[in-house]
Amino acid sequence: MFERRLYFHIDWALVAAILVLCVIGVAMIYSTTFDPTRGTSRMYTTQLYAIAIGLVAMLITTSVDYRAFADKSHLLYIALLGLLGYVLFLGSVQMGARRWIPLHVFNLQPSEFAKIAVALVLAKFLGENRGAPTPGDLAIGGLLTAIPVLLIVKEPDLGTAVTLLPVFVAVTYLAGMRMRILGVLALIALLMAPIAWKFGLKDYQKARISTFLDPSQDAKGAGYQQIQARITVGSGGLTGKGFRQGTQGQLRFLPVAHNDFIFSVLAEEQGFAGVLVVLGLYLFVILRTLEAARLAKDRIGAYLVIGVLGSFSFQVIYNIAMAAGMAPVKGITLPFMSYGGSSMIATLAAFGLVLNVRMRRFTN
Amino acid sequence: MAVEDRRRLGIRLTALQYLITVLFSVLAVSFWVLQVVQHPKYEELAENNHQRTLALRAPRGLVFDRDGRVLVVNRHSYSISIVREHSKDLNRTIEMLASVLKLDEEGVRTIVDRHRREPSYRPITIVQDASLAQVAAVTARRLDTELPDVVVEQVPTRRYPETLAAHLFGYVGEVSDKDVSEGDKLKSGDIVGQAGIEKVYNALLMGDDGARRVVVNSVGREIRTLEEDDPTEGKRLQLTIDYDVQKAVEDAFKATPFNGAAVVLDPKDGGVLAFASLPAYDPNAFASGIDRATWASLNTDELRPLNDRAIQGRYSPGSTFKMAVGLAGLEEGVITPEFRVSCAGHANFYGRDFKCWKKGGHGSVDLRRAIEQSCDVYFYTVGNMVGVDKINKWATLLGLGVKSGIDLPNEVQGLVPSTEWKREKMHEKWYAGETISVSIGQGQVSVAPVSMAVYMATLANGGTRVTPHLLKAVDDGSGWKAVPTPAPQSQVTIDPVKLQAIRDGLWGVVNGGGTGGRARLVGYDVSGKTGTAQVISNQGRLAARTTRNLRDHGWFVFFAPRDNPQIAGVVFLEHGIHGPNAAVVAHHIVDTFFAKREGRPLPTLPDEMRLDFKDPYAKGQPVEAEDR
Repeated sequence: MFERRLYFHIDWALVAAILVLCVIGVAMIYSTTFDPTRGTSRMYTTQLYAIAIGLVAMLITTSVDYRAFADKSHLLYIALLGLLGYVLFLGSVQMGARRWIPLHVFNLQPSEFAKIAVALVLAKFLGENRGAPTPGDLAIGGLLTAIPVLLIVKEPDLGTAVTLLPVFVAVTYLAGMRMRILGVLALIALLMAPIAWKFGLKDYQKARISTFLDPSQDAKGAGYQQIQARITVGSGGLTGKGFRQGTQGQLRFLPVAHNDFIFSVLAEEQGFAGVLVVLGLYLFVILRTLEAARLAKDRIGAYLVIGVLGSFSFQVIYNIAMAAGMAPVKGITLPFMSYGGSSMIATLAAFGLVLNVRMRRFTN
Repeated sequence: MAVEDRRRLGIRLTALQYLITVLFSVLAVSFWVLQVVQHPKYEELAENNHQRTLALRAPRGLVFDRDGRVLVVNRHSYSISIVREHSKDLNRTIEMLASVLKLDEEGVRTIVDRHRREPSYRPITIVQDASLAQVAAVTARRLDTELPDVVVEQVPTRRYPETLAAHLFGYVGEVSDKDVSEGDKLKSGDIVGQAGIEKVYNALLMGDDGARRVVVNSVGREIRTLEEDDPTEGKRLQLTIDYDVQKAVEDAFKATPFNGAAVVLDPKDGGVLAFASLPAYDPNAFASGIDRATWASLNTDELRPLNDRAIQGRYSPGSTFKMAVGLAGLEEGVITPEFRVSCAGHANFYGRDFKCWKKGGHGSVDLRRAIEQSCDVYFYTVGNMVGVDKINKWATLLGLGVKSGIDLPNEVQGLVPSTEWKREKMHEKWYAGETISVSIGQGQVSVAPVSMAVYMATLANGGTRVTPHLLKAVDDGSGWKAVPTPAPQSQVTIDPVKLQAIRDGLWGVVNGGGTGGRARLVGYDVSGKTGTAQVISNQGRLAARTTRNLRDHGWFVFFAPRDNPQIAGVVFLEHGIHGPNAAVVAHHIVDTFFAKREGRPLPTLPDEMRLDFKDPYAKGQPVEAEDR
């Protein structure tokens, strides 16, 4: 199934950039979770295992023709819904949410894989049609996206659920959805906001948003993370405090530093210089992926790539903005760098599809 | 893919490319602003986040006696404080702390409220001298991260190993807000001397607090020490006090049912060998913050234990004043030691009859004999001849009616009247008849016990009014440096022949047939004079009868030996009935002093003191020994 000649068309530059980001992520996790009083943390080794598994997943998603995946996308989609339903009723409860399926080695988080399934199913559905998508197409596409979104919201895991929306927006945008409709959708979202505020959000979520607008109103409570995030980033300066020298992350002023706020740790310890390097790497990955979409042989390929890119870009930009205290605190991780096995494996697998599309641009 | 499709795709991808690039540029600029432009502000915030400066309290300097025996030390105690700067919920902290420490919640709240205006980084001490159980309870909670704003500090606390010389040492306490605003060296929460040498030599005794900068984590736990600036201990003081003499004074007092005061001096330079005022308090009670009840009881006690009788009590000197009158007569050339007066038990001056204490009279007495027998008529006569202003002059030269200048706070001034004094204060002329009462130390004359010690030292050394002082040497860490003896308050040359007559009289009081026999010490020529100070007039006395606090005070002033005196002092027994009772106390003091000087074993107090409880005015109802 893996033809030798395709090997020459793998985008090695993209792979290299991804691997560098993963390594930087591991280094930051090591730095922030290392505790001399308790001995070495196991978190960075767990992350290394996740990367290894992710690379295997990537190899698989690269090797099998993406059209084969697209053809079976409805099965993958149904399997995903099954897993999400299973989690909702039988998943393990951690920190007040049911998000995980406990496996012996690690906990699997199916919602992370929803991006791939949704990207595949939307690419297949809209890629088979000719011309711009009709309102009916949009409705079906919207429904296909909404079902997993609602299931994940129910866990509850608003952060991960939200990352599915950019997949839909990106794919329909590229499929030629009228800009007017896009505008209308944006308008509806805007009008829905107050209603969602009133009925849809839990108190802690409201608190997070209102404290984002004015963090000082609750400096020790919900605004704490945001203020600490700014202090963490700001105190890093131009060149940073040095590896394992970041006081904010090391001394736990910044909560879940190894996870949602890994970028803040980077900013603290490596400074603005480190920030520029990593921002550059992410920009390179994104632009390189856009290039893959441009080079795709067919619409399914292009849509698949843009679907993957949609949620990826959204996560990267939102997380980095949050890391600097510029966005409300949400459980949105930074792909490739944040601690988390499911996210790492799913993202690497998704980028396997990107490599897949670019690599097969000349095949029939 | 259709060409049209590919074209649309290309345009839309290019638009995305620009969008992404713009968003990343915005992010980059934002980080630039945070990390480079606003870096100083956030760097400071981060430092405040994880660095704490803890005060390391400097121990106060130790205090030693003249032989290097330690008198005042420090011990370690723990204080529990709230640092509001780190409080997430002050109310919750107060509630929890009160329940953990088993304190009244309202009480804790009151303490916090009192310091509300202070900067929030300054710890508010809730418990001083916390018990180990309290420290353990708080420390356990801190590890549970429940009380991140509570700190336990180790604080050196003053300790007075023996409750000796309370009024001399004084006590320490938290600095007042007023003193903080006036002095630039003091800060709120500092422990400063509030009385005694703790107050007078506070600047020497207080050390410099150190500081420790530590790194703490987000729950306030100390991770490591960044730098430590060790506290500097206060300077060590060596006092002129002799522990053994001091102890002898207090032991002797305790063996009697009386309160009072005693001051013992080295007559050559005024160094204070012993200094006591009774009843005393326990200075240890103040060391870690005195509780309200103890403070209130000290203040309302009718025996007034906080009052330092030795320098703040003013009493009529009675017969002990007679040497001043005699010396005034001699030095003013009015009499010679051989001047004789015939005492018939009373005498008439200015149309009024003045009684001698001895009803039958002393017959013909000269100065020596008059002092020995304390003949009132002799001194009425001499006083009348000398006049009140000359008496005032010589009493002042001997240290009476003026402050002694001792290095203790709040000394009061006694009074020896003069015509000028009466004119200024009462706007009245002095009547010659008033001089008669003054001549035997009654009337307006009042003195503090410390001045009586100076008086005897001046008679002992031949006219130098030494300044009583407590500080002998200071050690700032580089070895003991002697403190220069303070200059005498005044100096007068007394004709040795005339002085000898006074001394002979005083010798006779103790070793002849006088009233001070109980102070006799064979071979040491103790010279002294008893005195009885009326508390109320004779008429009132008859009415009051046995009321204890209206009984006469007893004095005994002394020096020894008569020639080349080594020790001078005063024992004052409040409501002690008779001067001779004071002589009993003085005997033990002088005995101890010489025993120590000569290396003999120190004397022990007799099982029963030879005290006379018979109040001549109380019709034979003796004072019960237990009602002191």
